[in-house]
Amino acid sequence: MEGGSILETIGQEIIGVMSPVSICMLLVVLLVYTVYNPSSSAAATTTIRTAANLVYLESPNDSTAQKLEGAILNAVVFVVIITIVTFLLVLLYYYRFTNFLIYYTRFSVFMIFSAMGSSILISIIQRFDIPVDAVTFCVLLFNFTILGTISVFSNGIPIIVKQSNLVVLGIIVAAWFTRLPEWTTWVVLVALALYDLAAVLAPGGPLKLLVELASSRNEELPALVYESRPNVGRNSGARDSSLGLLVAAGLGMSGDNNSGSVELQQIWRDGNTDGTIEIQEREHLVIAVGENERTNGGETEDVREDQGETAPLIRDVDLTERLSRRNDVDNRSDGNRAPQGNEREAMEMEEMNARGIKLGMGDFIFYSVLVGRAAMYDLMTVYACYLAIISGLGCTLILLAVFRHALPALPISITLGSYSTS
Amino acid sequence: MTVAAGIGYALSALGPSLSLFTAVISHKPFLILILLSSTLVWLMSLIALSAVWRGFIPFKTAAWWPYALLILTSVASQEALRLFLWRLYKRMEELLDAFADRVSKPRLVITDKMQIALAGGMGHGVAHAVFFCISLLTPAFGSATYYVEKCSRIPFFLVSAMIALAFVTIHTFSMVIAFSGYSEGNRTDQYFAPVVHLAAGMLYMRSVPILKFEVSIAISEGVSSTTLLEIREDILIFRRCPHLQGIPIAPKNRVSPTEDGSLAAGGPSAYDYHLRLGPKFTGAIIIVTQ
Repeated sequence: MEGGSILETIGQEIIGVMSPVSICMLLVVLLVYTVYNPSSSAAATTTIRTAANLVYLESPNDSTAQKLEGAILNAVVFVVIITIVTFLLVLLYYYRFTNFLIYYTRFSVFMIFSAMGSSILISIIQRFDIPVDAVTFCVLLFNFTILGTISVFSNGIPIIVKQSNLVVLGIIVAAWFTRLPEWTTWVVLVALALYDLAAVLAPGGPLKLLVELASSRNEELPALVYESRPNVGRNSGARDSSLGLLVAAGLGMSGDNNSGSVELQQIWRDGNTDGTIEIQEREHLVIAVGENERTNGGETEDVREDQGETAPLIRDVDLTERLSRRNDVDNRSDGNRAPQGNEREAMEMEEMNARGIKLGMGDFIFYSVLVGRAAMYDLMTVYACYLAIISGLGCTLILLAVFRHALPALPISITLGSYSTS
Repeated sequence: MTVAAGIGYALSALGPSLSLFTAVISHKPFLILILLSSTLVWLMSLIALSAVWRGFIPFKTAAWWPYALLILTSVASQEALRLFLWRLYKRMEELLDAFADRVSKPRLVITDKMQIALAGGMGHGVAHAVFFCISLLTPAFGSATYYVEKCSRIPFFLVSAMIALAFVTIHTFSMVIAFSGYSEGNRTDQYFAPVVHLAAGMLYMRSVPILKFEVSIAISEGVSSTTLLEIREDILIFRRCPHLQGIPIAPKNRVSPTEDGSLAAGGPSAYDYHLRLGPKFTGAIIIVTQ
C-alpha cells in the first residue's frame, strides 16, 4: 500500500522468520495427527534405532525411573555425538575442506529428500488411499528430489523455491524425529537446548568458533540456514544481472582488474550475506559456493543432521556495520526506495542481500519436533506450545537486535514450549 | 462429527476474523506481531485467573450465582487487562512516533491507531474462539454428533461456534471502541466495552439453566450486540475521518501536521477503505448467516 506507514515496515524481518516456522510446525502437526497417530499406526510399536536411541530403547512397560534414566543416558550420548561431530566440522572448515563439506551436505540433502521423504510420502499415500502407481511415484519423487537438492544450494533459483524446499526438509526430518519414544524426545530436546546455549555462547563452543572463523574469512557460514529476505526493494532481477556480470568477470579474469570488476568484486565480497556466493580472494576471483555442511540421511546417521542444524541465529553484522546508518530495517528500506547514484546502488545491493535474518535448520526441526510431540497429546497443548515457541522466537529475535551477534535460538523457545506442554 | 462439518463449525466461528485478517492485518507485519502478543497476554491473564479460581471449582451447588460471580470476576479482570493494554499502547505509541520521526516517515495516523487496536482486539477474540470452540471440535471427530438435552434442536458444536463468533466480534471491536474512548476521554465509549462484555457473558450464562429457547435468545442477543458494536465502530470511523465525508480537512483536525490538506486532495487512502470494509463485511456475514 502507498502511504508508507511505519506499520508496514516494522517487524518485517521477524514475520519473515516466523511465518516459515509456523508453516513448518502446522504441517508437522497435520502430518503427525493424520498419519502418525500413535494409537492407530504400527509405527509406534516398532522402534527405530537412531543415534538418539543407541543406549536405551524405551518401551512402554518400563517404570518411570527406568525410563527417565534411560532417556537421560540417551540424551547424553546424543549430545556427545553431536559435539564431536561439530568439532569435526569446525576442524574441516578450518583446514579449508569446504568443498568436501559442500558435497557431503548435498549428498545428505539428497538422501533426506529421497529416502526419508519417500517413506513419509508412502505413509501418506497409504493413509489416504491415493491411487498412485509405483512408476509415477518414482518419477515424481525423483523430480522433486533433484529440484530440492539443487534449489537448496544454488542461487540462480528464485528464493521462494529455496525457502519452501528448506521448509519441506525441516518437515521431513521433524516428522522422523517425532517417532522417537516420548521420554527420550523430551530429554533430548532439553539437552539440545542446553547444548545450543553452550555451543554458541561459551568461549570454547564449536558453533561460536565456526561463526568467528566464517566472519574472519568474510565467508558465508557453512550451514544449511533458512534465510528470510523481505521483498522490499529490488531483488532477483538485479541479482541475476550482477551475478551474470560477476561470472563473466570471474571467468575472464586472472587476477588483474579493471575498475568495473573491482567494484563488483568489492561489492560481492562485502555482500557476503548472500546465501551461497562468496569470492575467495586467494583463488583469483573464483566463485565458490560457500554453503555447506550438514547431514545426512539414514537412521544411524541421524545425529549428523544436528551439527548444522544447531547453527545459530545470525544477523549479518559486518554488513550492517559497514553501512553508516543504524541497524534499522526501515532505514534500509528507505534507502532502497530512493536510489541515487552508484554509491547508493552499491549500498543497495549490499542492503538487499544483507537484509533478512538467518535461522538454522536445526531450529526449525526442533521446534517442529516439540510441537509434533505435543500434538500426540491434545490439540490445545499444541496451540499453547505454538504460542510459547513463537514468543520465545520473538524474544530471541529482539535479543538479536540488541546484541547483534549470533545467538542460540533453541533455549528460550524450548524452555517455554516444554513448560507449556507439561 | 465429520471432518467437513468440523471445518464448517471452525469456519463459522473464525471465518469473519480470517477475512479481517487477510484484508487488513496480513499486509502489515507489525499488526501480525500485535495480534500474536495480544493473544499471548490474554491467555496468560486467563491462566492467572484460573489459578485464582482453582480452589473453588468445580462448584458443588446447582445454583446460578457462583457462575455469575465467576463470570463477573473474569469480565472484570479482562477489562482491567484492557486498561493495562491501553497504558502499554500509549507508551508504544510514543516509541513508534519517535521512530517514525527518525526514519522520516509519517507519524501514526488515526487509522493506524485503530488498526493497532483492531489487531489487539482480534488477538483476544481469536484466542477466545480457539480455546472455547475449536478445542471442543478436535476430540469429536468421528461418527455421530452431540446434542445437549436442554437444547435438542441445534448440535452443541454449532451453538458453541455461534457463541464464539459473537465473542470474537465483541472482543475485536470493543478494543477499538475502548481505545478511542480512552484517547478522547469519551465516557460512553469507555464504558461501552465492559457493559457489552458483561451483558454477553451473563446472557451466555443464562443459557445454562432451564429453557431451550433461552439458548437461541442468548445467541441472537449476543449477535445483535455485536452488530451494535459494528455500527458504533462505523460511526466512530466516520466521525474521525472527515475526509471520508468529503469535508476538506482543517489543519487542527489531523493528527500529523505533515498531512494536512493532502489527504483531502487525494481522497481517502487505500487502507481507510480497508478498515471501512472490514466491519461492514463481517456485519454482512453475520446478518446473512442468521
